Amino acid sequence: MQKIPLNLAKPGMVLAKPVPRQDGIVVVASGTEITEGLIDKLESMEVETIVVEGNPVNMDGVMAGSSYAARVGRLDHLFRKFPDDPWMGRVKEMFRGYFTIKAASGPAETPGETPPKSGE
Amino acid sequence: MEDDLKTERKGQLLAVKDLPTLPAVLDEVSKLVARPESTTEQVARLISMDQVLSAKVLKMVNSPIYGFPGRISSVSHALMLLGFNVIRGIIVSTSVFEVMTKNMVGLWEHSVATALASSTVARACGLRDPDEYSVAGLLHDLGKVVATVQLPELKTAIESLVKEKDLTYLAAEKELLGFGHDRINAWLATHWKLPPNIKEGMDHHHSPQTAQLYPEMAAVVHLADFLARLYEFGSGGDDNVPFVQPEAFKILKIKPKDLEAICDTLGERFVEVSDLKFS
Repeated sequence: MQKIPLNLAKPGMVLAKPVPRQDGIVVVASGTEITEGLIDKLESMEVETIVVEGNPVNMDGVMAGSSYAARVGRLDHLFRKFPDDPWMGRVKEMFRGYFTIKAASGPAETPGETPPKSGE
Repeated sequence: MEDDLKTERKGQLLAVKDLPTLPAVLDEVSKLVARPESTTEQVARLISMDQVLSAKVLKMVNSPIYGFPGRISSVSHALMLLGFNVIRGIIVSTSVFEVMTKNMVGLWEHSVATALASSTVARACGLRDPDEYSVAGLLHDLGKVVATVQLPELKTAIESLVKEKDLTYLAAEKELLGFGHDRINAWLATHWKLPPNIKEGMDHHHSPQTAQLYPEMAAVVHLADFLARLYEFGSGGDDNVPFVQPEAFKILKIKPKDLEAICDTLGERFVEVSDLKFS
């Protein structure tokens, strides 16, 4: 499953998530195959992004920092306030194990995007 | 910090002239809800009279944060499914963030992620009315945003403390104000007449172990805040995970390991809300 901007959508891709209109009401169901006509229709409804099956688009750089592998890399930094706390150390190692397994199993999904940090 | 200085700060923070005004219709609605003979239809009709507000409410209730994505077509339907507490919380959060969003970049996304994580944790723990937990998650950092708007010089001071001394946002608030956004949350919740369970989620999300009335609410928002920061979805003002209170697991009768199953659900759901806006 991959979230992509509408301008990268191509006929033949399959929607993995339903597409909602601006007010949140679903207008296209998941499982629908994308056609030129559908892309035009979504453009006219000002839909900006869609979620499609598989990982058809190379988004390196766009989604940087959001993969499970990136989560593993960020753990020490996020937990840096608790270097000597055995409890927080255990919590950290539990998530290191969890994210490592997730990163190893199948293509990296995007557990969350990282919008700009405050002050940048 | 001296008590009188604290009182002065509180006065500045709650100075009504600058606080975002809640839509006028909300007062009317609250009065109507307080009357036992009122019907959902009457309440819905009143909210629907404000078309901009109704559109915002519908957009939020149809988002993946709540349990009925894309399926709620009217305000009365939303009221029946989610209840007035949830709708009220949504109205408060959109009103505040709409005015204040530029003040803290990333905080809206962090709030949405915490809302989503709150209902996911609440469902996993088998708690009733999970959508009320998500509203508390949505509102849990309101105090931060209100403080930066009411005391503009404070925002710069907090941000430079966070950067230079690598403090957490909460620690920087405490150093400069003598109290944190959790305290401000308590005042705001009272000021805006939010229900007591949502208030306790807001003002005890850093200290669920001392929550008196609704410890589950505080514990759920506490863990949800941790998860949103662990995934770095949005920004709460600094890049740290908060200390996880072991008592939160006791209160919810779960084990730390249970967070893994919660994350299995959450990782996918974060994607769904990644571009949710409030207007």
